[in-house]
Amino acid sequence: MAEIELREVTRRFPDTIAVNRASFTIQDGEFFILVGPSGCGKSTLLNMIVGLEQVSSGEIRVDGELVNDRDPRERNMAMVFQSYAIYPHMTVRENMAFPLKLAKLPPQEIERRVREAAATLELTPLLDRRPHALSGGQRQRVAMGRAIVREPSVFLLDEPLSNLDAKLRGQMRMEIARLQRRLGTTTLYVTHDQTEAMTLGDRIAVLRGGTIQQIGTPRELYERPANLFVAGFIGAPAMNFLPARREGGELVLPLGSLGLADESAVAIPPGGQLVAGFRPEHLQLAVGERRAGSLCFEAQVDLLEWLGPELFVHFEVGLAGFGGMALPRELGIETGDAARTMVVARIDPGCGVKEGEILALCIDPESVRLFDARSGENRAPLRE
Amino acid sequence: MADTGGAGRMERLLWGAGSTLVVLYALIPVAWLVSLSLKQGADLGDGRFVPRRVTLEHYAAVFDDPQFTAALWNSAGIAAIATVAAVLLGMFAAYAIVRLQFPGRGLMLAAALSVAMFPPVSIIGPLFNLWRSVGLYDTWAGLVLPYMTFTLPLAIWTLAAFFREIPWDLERAARVDGATPLQAFVHVIVPLAAPGVFTAAILVFMFAWNDFLFAISLTSTSDARTVPAAIAFFTGSSLFELPAGAIAAASVVVTVPVIIVVLLFQRRIVAGLTSGAVKG
Repeated sequence: MAEIELREVTRRFPDTIAVNRASFTIQDGEFFILVGPSGCGKSTLLNMIVGLEQVSSGEIRVDGELVNDRDPRERNMAMVFQSYAIYPHMTVRENMAFPLKLAKLPPQEIERRVREAAATLELTPLLDRRPHALSGGQRQRVAMGRAIVREPSVFLLDEPLSNLDAKLRGQMRMEIARLQRRLGTTTLYVTHDQTEAMTLGDRIAVLRGGTIQQIGTPRELYERPANLFVAGFIGAPAMNFLPARREGGELVLPLGSLGLADESAVAIPPGGQLVAGFRPEHLQLAVGERRAGSLCFEAQVDLLEWLGPELFVHFEVGLAGFGGMALPRELGIETGDAARTMVVARIDPGCGVKEGEILALCIDPESVRLFDARSGENRAPLRE
Repeated sequence: MADTGGAGRMERLLWGAGSTLVVLYALIPVAWLVSLSLKQGADLGDGRFVPRRVTLEHYAAVFDDPQFTAALWNSAGIAAIATVAAVLLGMFAAYAIVRLQFPGRGLMLAAALSVAMFPPVSIIGPLFNLWRSVGLYDTWAGLVLPYMTFTLPLAIWTLAAFFREIPWDLERAARVDGATPLQAFVHVIVPLAAPGVFTAAILVFMFAWNDFLFAISLTSTSDARTVPAAIAFFTGSSLFELPAGAIAAASVVVTVPVIIVVLLFQRRIVAGLTSGAVKG
């Protein structure tokens, strides 16, 4: 059991900074996720915690003790590699016994622990096989088994599921979650997959370009993203973004206007360049009575994605009137009076809409997040 | 079906014929040598492939010769020491070149290669003088050193190629599992590079075992003279008799260990040992 504390941890390479002043604390027994696009420094951070990579500056503490210069074998952490890294010249049994042999445990104890871990992971019939005779999912289990036999104080998992097919990935995801709950071991899990992050994590840290963008529970990240990057990264399909500006007491979007609450109107300078973000499920079919203050508009369906329980409707929005605005490039939205961008709505699949049809949609002001177009920071919500 | 079957049979036939031809071409001199070693002294010049009367008298003669048994001992000892030393050093050097970032890695590999390109005969003269003045002339060390020098580059290149194939994650996993760097090397890297280690060992051993040039130039007595050099000093039972039978018997005796070593190790040189280490 261990609490891991990072203070201003930085990793510099001659030409780049892989991790820039990362500070956070992983509570004892917590399932903590590091998520971000490839190359964001999450694996480097993991390697620094386990001791495979040097810390350039900052402190890593485990239960209050500074471990910066400790050898990996003195940290009592077990790691599962993306490539599994199981030893091909050893049987499954030998693979799992390897860390215990190095720790010089008595043979009966090794045998007991290996048998126990094998039973937990349903590897018992495979104990005498060699890795080349195993499937990808089985190899993954062996890598997990080698980690749990040690009864370490911390588990580190580096994209453990990214080499599995979709079905197996979902299954293993559940197994990992169950295992972690049962063992109660502090776990740090690195992934680029936001679904894994959302479903597994007690808390998530979103990384980008070596810098932590936001740390919070999955719900916090989803509902109150700190900036445009987090808003766009968490959630699938991604949040919709449109340029916006304040005019008087109203927020003007390419789709129409929304009423602003008084306090928001104060917080947002008029003429400030803004980006409005809203999730696909917050666009509702306009049926019956219109809610006061909500924005309703008509859109022509460009593309339908039917997934059974949900239906995604894609439609184009013209950006006329926002030509002068410069949006962050990563949004991929060209501005200009003739420019158009795609917006997606998640609606009831029973509504019987067809491609090319005109659809009336509404959005409530509470669902709209406002971001500063220049810094990407989340501004005050329109209304709480 | 019939077509492909026919083509397959034709292909097999051609491959078989080709292989047989190559094997015959390579083995006929060896067979001739064996035949010579089994002939009686009087029949040596009869030109027959199968000896008229089979005798082991030449083998008895070479093993009775204390010079030859001493040479055999020298050969085995020197080749074994050179092999072990070159493979061990080569392993560490290759590992460092593959895994560690340090300035001059490329230079080191290039320098090693240039040593391998160097014609040994060009350094024999200076080496002879040098060895005499430092007291290495006619000693085991005096032969082990040049053998190592000339085979190390080959060992380094071979081993580096094998080390490069081993996923780095395996070593990192071993470190996290609680191994010291040396334990990780011994328990994970070396077993996986075993085919490379055996390949390198065979190459070094063959070079040391077969060498004639250094052996004849840097030795003078049975203290360090190896078999290839010792054979050159064979004399017939009389001034007018060619010791062909004894030379043939001695040659067969020194060829057998090489064949045994290669056959033993080739079973270990199996490719694909690393399959299953990582995904795929």
